[in-house]
Order: sequence, then C-alpha cells, then structure tokens
Amino acid sequence: MVSTSTPTKWALRAVAVGYVFFLVAWPVGLLIRRTFEGGLTNLTDALTDSNVVSALALTGKVAVAAVLINLVFGVTISMLLVRYDFPGKRVLSALVDVPLSVSPVVVGLALVLVYNGRDGWLGTGLEDNGISVIFATPGLVMATCFVALPLVIREVVPVLTEIGDEQEQAARSLGANAPQTFWRITLPSIKWAVVYGVVLSLARSVGEFGAVKVVSDNVAGKTQTATLSVEKSYQNFAQGEAYAIAFLLVMVCVASLIVVALLRPKVHD
Amino acid sequence: MSIEVRGLNKKFGDFVALDDVDVTIPTGQLTALLGPSGGGKSTLLRIIAGLEKGDSGSVNIEGTEATHLPPQKRNVGFVFQHYAVFKHMTVAKNVAFGLEIRKRPKDEIEHRVQELLKLVHLSQFSHRLPSQLSGGQRQRMALARALAVEPTVLLLDEPFGALDAKVRKELRDWLRRLHDDVHVTTVFVTHDQEEAMEVADEIVVINEGRVEQVGTPDQLYDEPANDFVMSFLGEVTHLGGVSLRPHDVEVESSPHHAGSIEGTVSRLVRIGFEVRLTVLTVDGEEVSVVLTRTHARALGLEEGSTVFLTPAAGATVIPRMAVAG
Repeated sequence: MVSTSTPTKWALRAVAVGYVFFLVAWPVGLLIRRTFEGGLTNLTDALTDSNVVSALALTGKVAVAAVLINLVFGVTISMLLVRYDFPGKRVLSALVDVPLSVSPVVVGLALVLVYNGRDGWLGTGLEDNGISVIFATPGLVMATCFVALPLVIREVVPVLTEIGDEQEQAARSLGANAPQTFWRITLPSIKWAVVYGVVLSLARSVGEFGAVKVVSDNVAGKTQTATLSVEKSYQNFAQGEAYAIAFLLVMVCVASLIVVALLRPKVHD
Repeated sequence: MSIEVRGLNKKFGDFVALDDVDVTIPTGQLTALLGPSGGGKSTLLRIIAGLEKGDSGSVNIEGTEATHLPPQKRNVGFVFQHYAVFKHMTVAKNVAFGLEIRKRPKDEIEHRVQELLKLVHLSQFSHRLPSQLSGGQRQRMALARALAVEPTVLLLDEPFGALDAKVRKELRDWLRRLHDDVHVTTVFVTHDQEEAMEVADEIVVINEGRVEQVGTPDQLYDEPANDFVMSFLGEVTHLGGVSLRPHDVEVESSPHHAGSIEGTVSRLVRIGFEVRLTVLTVDGEEVSVVLTRTHARALGLEEGSTVFLTPAAGATVIPRMAVAG
C-alpha cells in the first residue's frame, strides 16, 4: 500500500465522514428524531390507521412477489449470459442494464402504454379476460420487477464468471444431469451473491416510488403502497404519520442488511 | 479395445485442434497423450469425456458408441489440472458425489468413501474442506472422487501440471502404483516427456492436431518415427547428416574410427557429473555432446581442444530432415 502522510490521512477521513454525515446520517437521524418526537404516538397512530396498515401490507406483498420473480429470472438470465453463447447475447446484457439508467417514471409510463385497459396494446385483451394490470396489484409488481431487475443479475454474473465451469464439468462427468448440477454445485457456489442480490432487490422494491406512482391510481386501502402513503400523508399535513411510515421503510432495509451481515460466514474464499 | 477414436476433427474458429485423428487406446493400460501445448491432446481427452464435441468423427468406449452421449452417461472419470474440487463440500462429500447421484444406499456410500480415502491416503482429512488441503492432497481427492463411480476409463488432463516439482514426482510414482492396483484403463495428458516415459505403458505423441506416433516408451525412444518425435522425447543434435542424442556422440582425442568428424571444442559447461560440449566441426556444423565428467577428464578436454566425433555403436540415429529442429 502506498503510504500517505498523517495529516493527509486525517483530512481524507474528515472529507469522507463529513460527506456521508451531511448526505445520509444527519437527514435520516433527523427523520428518526421527528418520528419519536412525541414518544411512540406517531408510530402507534400510524399503525392503528387501517389505510397505513394496508399500504404497508401491499408494499410487503408487492416487494416479495417482485423479489421472487426477479430471483428466478435473475439467476436464469445470469446463467444464460455467463455459460452460453448465442446470437443477441450482448443485446440482452445491455437490456438488463436499462432499468439502472432509465428513470422509474418512464418505466411506469411505458407499462401504462402497453397494459392499460382502455387502449393498451396488451391491456385491452387482458381486461376483456377480467385481468387488470394498470391501477391494480399486477401493475405494481411489474413496475417493481422492472426497476429491480438488474440487481440480482449484476451480483450473480461476476461470481459465476469467477468460479468458472470446471466444477460443473466435474459434476457432469460424475453422472449428474443439468438440474442436479445446478442444485448441488452451481447454486451453493453462488449462494452469497444471490442473497446479496435478493437483499438489494428487496430494499429497492420496498422503496420504489416513481414507477409505482404512475401505474397506481393511489386509492388508499387498495392500490396505495407505503411510499405513496408517505407522500399523501405529507401532503395532507399529517407529517407525524409520514415520518413514522418512512421510519418503518428505513428499518426494513437496515434489518435486511443486518441479517445478511449476521448470516454471512466469516471466512470466505 | 477400450477407446476407439475414428476420423476425429475439431476446429476452434480457424484453429485446427484435431485433424482427422484415429487412435485406439488399449484396455487396462496406462496411456499418455504426449505433445507440446496447443497440440490438441487436451481437446482429444475432453472429446473422449464428452466435455467437448468433435466436429466430425466417432468415439467408441468399451464397445459403446459414445459420440453423441452426454458426459454423465459415458461413465468416465475425469481429473482436471486445477482439481475442480467442489469447494463447498467436505473431502468425504466430494468423493461421495458420484455415488449419491447414483442413489446408492447410504452405508454402501460411506464404506466406499472410507475405502477410497484410504487408497489415496486422505482418511484423516475426510471432514475437512478442500481449501484446507495442499495441492497434491486436492488432486488425490479429485482422483478418489473420479474412481468412486467405478468408471470404465479414467481420464486425467495434465493432472500434475499445477504442482511443484517434488510433489509432482511423488504423485507420478503414486499414480503408477495405483494403476497397478486398480487396473482401470487410464489416459493422461502431459507435455512432460519424462513424466510420460516414466509412468505410461503406451504413449501417443500428438502434435498440431495429428498423431505423430503410438508406441511403448522404449519404442518411441529407440525407434522414433520422425524428427519431431525424436526431438520431443529428448535432446537432439546433428552430426554428419544424421540426428542423434548428444550422449550418443563418441568423443576421441585422435581419429581412431573411420569416418570420424574433426572439430574444435568451442564451449564446455560442467553441470554436476555431466559435461556439455559444443563442438564446431570442420564442416561448420555445431554439435552438442554430453559426456560424463570422468570421461571428459580422461580425454583432457578444454575449450579449444581438437576432438574427433562419431555416432556411438548402437545409438538411435535417424536421417536428418529438412525441418530438423
């Protein structure tokens, strides 16, 4: 390691700590302080409001569905990108990254164009068969899936590339077929990457606002998710409630990061 | 005949890895595929195992047409250069893998794993993870894992290539003894001619995607089919239009033999008991000669000495070709 003089070291530390403090720690800390300003009343008030409870439940449902879907597709697409060669592979790889660069609002609008029940390209047909996508839970799940799509893939792809396919070849030569090789060899090797991908996806899904805002008609108790309910409460001057829900959302992310830190084995090679 | 390969071709893009290869590998023997890096020997082994597909040609293993069989149906054991251990499993679990896939009864698996770990001297490590083993131990574990499924043939791809010289030598001897005990048809790839000569019953020399010669180590060494085989199996020098081994050049200080070639010692290097000479002949040829220290001293050799060279009686000599190296 290059040695740096002591004053420079301290200066660099101060810059880094200061940056994170003013950008993240202070605002979040203030939010937590406001939440507990009147003791636990903000939290208890929020949790006894049936609209808030149903918003939290909906967010939970949508996030879990989106994470499960992205888990299955994410691992499959990662295997496809790393282990197989096919025409259009680079296009697929680039498409996977689109959700990272495109604004979630655009995602929502695009989904509305295709799936809305009145003149959507696919939506009208689905509507005729009694399935509503936009302004309903399926639309919320799709919007959330879209924005969280790259997270599992970008965690798993480098690990798959690094472990190589020799272990898989060895398993095949020992008599394992493709599914056996996947469950017994590949999946255990990429386990931690998958767990990180899932945690990141969960955090992203729980916190998603822009795309969800467009595809939801924001009806409290029906299609209003937790993030939408934060906005609504805040705009209705129910700041206490807004802080309480925001605090709960932060807690979900903190909790999942702690769970991973605890689960992860100390020695990793 | 155990493994029959007929008319096998394989290209990677423009690169021809195998060019119409025909090989028959006999049952129960230890066969080496020997050749320089990039010569196609690993590709041949991987096609036999089913890990790679040939462009055309056929592979037959113990009378079973295997050309289009997936690897898991060929019943071959494969050992990789970099071990390919299952990192998340203990040594015992690694060895048991093939048997668990075959859904053998639990007590049978346990018994067989113990037996194999004893065979490869890893009994006391059965509960360790591969990351806690040395390279040589990992490779022995990989061998036990491959043997566990009682393969028809055992294929080893540069099995000792990633190990240091001392462990390499130990494992080489150990593989030979193991084969004498187990008698499974074994094919191993190596670019080390000494390894091939020492361990193998039969050697297949492969270069630039073609089989150059097949034979026992003695046959290859004594009757090389061409200049390539001769130069690949050991050092070669040229004297009066023939290729021969440097230690097969007879050196005298006066012309006793008819047809001996006169020259001057231009360089003399002593390495332990060995003395290596570079002799510049009157015809302008540079000849390498190896002789013992004692012999060199008896002749009173030093740089600038005049010597007379002849091929030794009984030496392997082949006419020099245009492309001689």
